[in-house]
Amino acid sequence: MPGTLANRISRPRAKIGLTSLIDVVFILLVFFMLASSFTDWRVIELSAAKAPQATTSVGFEGAMLVRVRPEAVSLGGEAMALDALEARIAARLETTPDQRVLVQPVAGVTTQRLVDVLDRLDAAGVADLSLVASGGG
Amino acid sequence: MARLSRPRRRPDDEERVLPLVNVVFLLLIFFMVAGRLAASDAFEIEPAQSESAGASEARPQKLLVGTEGRLALDGEVLDETALLARLAEAEAGRLTVRADARVEADRLVRLLGRLREAGVGDVELQTARP
Repeated sequence: MPGTLANRISRPRAKIGLTSLIDVVFILLVFFMLASSFTDWRVIELSAAKAPQATTSVGFEGAMLVRVRPEAVSLGGEAMALDALEARIAARLETTPDQRVLVQPVAGVTTQRLVDVLDRLDAAGVADLSLVASGGG
Repeated sequence: MARLSRPRRRPDDEERVLPLVNVVFLLLIFFMVAGRLAASDAFEIEPAQSESAGASEARPQKLLVGTEGRLALDGEVLDETALLARLAEAEAGRLTVRADARVEADRLVRLLGRLREAGVGDVELQTARP
């Protein structure tokens, strides 16, 4: 009987209980699950050359104007699909590699739509790209 | 008999939770390694999805552009006047913009124009990979 008692008391002392360890690990797990983010962030560079220009008519001469509408895009007033736009811009870039492209979203266009168009222009290889606010802003 | 069975039961109990502990440890290590700890945004943003955009490059300041005209700079909600004043004062010149996909593009472009006037010429627009 004294042996059993000694066993009972000395056992937990010799070994740290697993339960408390599991508690801590669970708390850490919950913390990392809640606090960490898995979004794969990407960026579109809008550095000085690409940032919206102040309205200087000099910079706009000879540029291709792409207006982004909710359903279609128009290049120089001609409405077309995104694929056609990409093909036209790519064809133009073959002759003039430094062709400047202006992108003007009209009212009612979401940022997602604008990003889609910027993606296509990027795929076409446009280097000189400017965003223009509608209404001459 | 009681003497023999009692010490034996304890390891049994512990051994039963060992697989659970193993799995929890693995999950913990996964979340620690794979996830990135970041300060939470001032408000919820649904970023635009983009396939071809480049990898992110760390910028000192982050601007959040939300729907309904909400703006936040580094987790602090501001109105536009205060924001422009703050940026002009800081003379950072570089900014990460994280805009909600539903924000009107024209509003964003106008905002970028005003940021440029305030001296922020180097802007990157953050998007997410779908």
